[in-house]
Amino acid sequence: MQLEKKLAEGAFVVLAEMEPPKGVEVAGLVSQAMAVRGKVDAFVVPEMSSAVMRLSSLGVSLLLASRGLETVMQVCCRDRNRLALQADLLAAGALGIPNVMGVAGDDITFGDHHTAKAVDDLTLEELLQGMNTLMTGRDLAGIELKGAPRFFVGSTVNPGAAHLEAELAALDRKLAAGARFFITPPIFSVEVLDAFRKRAGGRPMYLLTTVLLLKSVGMARYIQRHLGQIQVPEALVSRIQKAPERVRECVQIAAELVKAFKDRGVSGVVISTLGWEDRLPAILSAAGI
Amino acid sequence: MIRAVGKPLEEVIGMVQDYPRILVAGCDGCVTVCEAGGLKEVKVLAAALRLYFTQQGEPKQIDETSLTRQCDKEYLAQLGDRIDGYDAVLSLACGCGVQFLADMYTTKPVYPGVDTTFLGVTEERGVYTERCQACGRCILADTGGVCPIARCSKRMLNGPCGGSDKGKCEVNPEMPCGWQLIYERLKALGQLDRFEQPITPKDWTTSRDGGVRKIVREDLRV
Ligand code: SF4
Ligand code: SF4
Repeated sequence: MQLEKKLAEGAFVVLAEMEPPKGVEVAGLVSQAMAVRGKVDAFVVPEMSSAVMRLSSLGVSLLLASRGLETVMQVCCRDRNRLALQADLLAAGALGIPNVMGVAGDDITFGDHHTAKAVDDLTLEELLQGMNTLMTGRDLAGIELKGAPRFFVGSTVNPGAAHLEAELAALDRKLAAGARFFITPPIFSVEVLDAFRKRAGGRPMYLLTTVLLLKSVGMARYIQRHLGQIQVPEALVSRIQKAPERVRECVQIAAELVKAFKDRGVSGVVISTLGWEDRLPAILSAAGI
Repeated sequence: MIRAVGKPLEEVIGMVQDYPRILVAGCDGCVTVCEAGGLKEVKVLAAALRLYFTQQGEPKQIDETSLTRQCDKEYLAQLGDRIDGYDAVLSLACGCGVQFLADMYTTKPVYPGVDTTFLGVTEERGVYTERCQACGRCILADTGGVCPIARCSKRMLNGPCGGSDKGKCEVNPEMPCGWQLIYERLKALGQLDRFEQPITPKDWTTSRDGGVRKIVREDLRV
């Protein structure tokens, strides 16, 4: 609704990530979302990111939608077969979730249920294609639906990918499968973005870069060591290290990135605060939004 | 053993039709036992291909061979001095053999001539049934020696599902219910109390879900 419309108008959009809880206590999440209502255009709700079992994206998306908040629901290939994926998409369509994004999902062995069986019945491209098939009023078996859902479809792209060539080929397949907006993993430097856009430029897509709020030096180090696809520049780490008020510095860094990406002309940002959603207003105001 | 069945001739023709010189390579291992990819099947398939391409007015050179095993390098290496004489290899080994052959001769197109189907047994000549899905951590000790992963349609570890009818599976009435078999066997062994201890959710990391599997036997390495 509002997200698609604003992007179509060329406005800069601000999304916030809302990690669902591991459990049923949702009051905090709802109040944090309500606190930034009006300041963000939509909430991105991850589907069991890092393969850690949590309340589902569909559940939290519906919860936020019931409070009048727009959401981007994630749909993940890892845990559901094509029946379950389509069933959830129909539920989302019927209950007013306008934006859906397909993700492949981190490998099950990275999560907290590493002995589980992965599903991976559909590939990400097949899932994206499937979303569009549902919109034409048919399911993946070709059977007619009683009422077709309408979605703004997106997916992921990684500008920091080690093999950019392969990433761009995958991006083209996702575009061909009908994805229109793309959310990146956290990016910590404009150089990574610039290099990517130089290569990917001209493709008909909305690019939304993720700004991750670093919470500590330890967190930055962890990302450097364990998440190879995300690069945290050493300069940022030492900036936090030297800062008299580290938390404030972290907020400042996030705000600077938001502003820098906006100045670079991307379609929007997704701000990920991983439990520090109460810092969102500070980041936005420091970024001049 | 690994069981396989020959691919339909039209499919094989579709794969190799653009190559003038083709080597059809069988394997003397499992696929010979199940009569899908040994020297006998190589000869039959090569003859059928020769006949087809001759009738099409484009005869090809189609040669025959069979290796002791295609899943061991030493036997694959035996093709070394003649492989350059062919534009493509049609391997009748299981999927492992096809891949290992392609690994060794990286610039040679290698095509599968059989569909590798399952790990199973010979019920009678020409009738093979699945027995194991190579899950990587065998639980036969708990199930009376009958595998629920391979032999229950729903791969239930705590069956039966309730749909079994006169010993047949609800998914396919031609097929024995795996859990009926487990029950009968545990009963015969006087171990029906096993049913009182549900099997906990299985660790699938030893199956395909932990990624490509590898065994390293330090005691055997040279
Ligand atoms: S439990 Fe696993 S290893 Fe044992 S027979 Fe069944 S699939 Fe094969
Ligand atoms: S009828 Fe038996 S074999 Fe078939 S699904 Fe049920 S328990 Fe498994």
